[in-house]
Amino acid sequence: MTAPYAFKLALQSLRKDKWINLLSMLTIFAGLFIISLSYLVLYNVEAATRNLPEKFSLVVYLEDNLPREKISEVIASVKSMREVASVTYISKEEAFRELKATLKNSQYVLEGIDDNPLPDSLEVKLRRDAMGSEPVRQLAETAKKIKGVSEVDYGEKFLSILHDIKNGVRIVGIILAAILSTGIVFVCYSTVKILFYRRNDEIETFKLLGATKGFIRAPFLIEGAAIGTSGGITSLVALYLLQHLVIFRMAVSVPVFRTVLFPADFFLSLPLIGMFLGISGAVIALGRLKY
Amino acid sequence: MDPDGPMIHFQNVSKEYENLTALHDLTFSVEKGEMVFLTGPSGSGKTTLLRLIYLAELPDHGSISIAGWEATTLREASIPFVRRNIGVVFQDFRLLDNRNVFENVSLALRIRGVGEREVKSRVADALKTVNLRHKADSYPRRLSGGEQQRVVIARAIVAEPTVLLADEPTGNLDPETAEGVMRTFKDIHAKGTTIVVATHNRELYRNSGKRVFRLNAGSLVGEEVC
Repeated sequence: MTAPYAFKLALQSLRKDKWINLLSMLTIFAGLFIISLSYLVLYNVEAATRNLPEKFSLVVYLEDNLPREKISEVIASVKSMREVASVTYISKEEAFRELKATLKNSQYVLEGIDDNPLPDSLEVKLRRDAMGSEPVRQLAETAKKIKGVSEVDYGEKFLSILHDIKNGVRIVGIILAAILSTGIVFVCYSTVKILFYRRNDEIETFKLLGATKGFIRAPFLIEGAAIGTSGGITSLVALYLLQHLVIFRMAVSVPVFRTVLFPADFFLSLPLIGMFLGISGAVIALGRLKY
Repeated sequence: MDPDGPMIHFQNVSKEYENLTALHDLTFSVEKGEMVFLTGPSGSGKTTLLRLIYLAELPDHGSISIAGWEATTLREASIPFVRRNIGVVFQDFRLLDNRNVFENVSLALRIRGVGEREVKSRVADALKTVNLRHKADSYPRRLSGGEQQRVVIARAIVAEPTVLLADEPTGNLDPETAEGVMRTFKDIHAKGTTIVVATHNRELYRNSGKRVFRLNAGSLVGEEVC
């Protein structure tokens, strides 16, 4: 078959069964739009937590009156751990100065405290790949066993919550995307099947005139691709409108919206994703039909 | 594939539908470039026989060879290419109501991948042959039964098949138009096309000098030259 004729047949069918095709296209749009929104949430959660390891630190408290050489040994031991990016020594005097500076307007808290009650400590920054409640917990356990270390403090709860949120969003996103993608493929599958049955007489005539399976299939594959692509384009337009008419406007009054990031690469590929899902549905439908 | 054999050969062919015998032990041949008639009362098996030739059905027993292709051992993917050698004038026309006459006739060429310019000229020629050039833009439902029949003939001959099958091609026509259709068949036959016409209208084959196969209850009960 000459390709232009396959396109002509597909176009005729898209026009003739415009309501079925429009309904399928809208369903695909809704599916892709929801997938995009969940990806948007995941992307922003990832982006918001990406720089946390640099801000996050583990505090290793040292035993009182540890000699200088011993402190150096502890620092060397901590530094040798794979997960550690940097170690900063904070003397008890320095810590007390910082505390006083922090409590500048609430000096009464320190009234009656003559001696410095704070211990020497090490501020340990972690490598990005070591972030996660379990690796940090293990690291803290190991650090605690070093001779000269009295206590290790880290935001266990914070890390655990952060980890759970990221994982939760990711799992929900993947499940949602899988369900909706299957739904989109099924919509295209059903649409092509309906269109096929509606044109059964025509297909029978094509066959009797010597049409190959390729000749019969090509317009349906083009239709599946067209429906999927237009669903993808519509969701792309909807996301653009969401960004410009909702997020940008709300950012004026609600500051948190100013930080919302749009993953342009993913969104621009929506028409291609739609086309792929549309063709997949058509291929499955044509594979299951007897003709 | 035997290029020197007959164009159509049936060997002990039988066909049944749910224990009803449609054709029983048929053996006959149609030579290349020959024009033959199949006749017999309604239900005698004429249409089934044609359906076996254009591979819409396969026999339950026996073997069929068409233009050298063995129908019973043919791969499914090869069937369309064998069908392209066969033009069929269907009894129920099989015209597509949502396409005009030009588009209906051109289908046979589009399926073969013929280019647009050639499609236009060959469809125009085919419509001229059946005197329907002025109806190229009309839709089948706006045509009379006779005109529809001629569109089907145009579609069957436009790709210049080696075999032309016609199932009751004059069934809906008045005697004058029927005569015109038969003249068209004779012209096509004169160019070397093998033609099989199934009809119960004696006038079509009387004094034709062609072989006539008589069918009754699925069996070949006679063969004569009329």
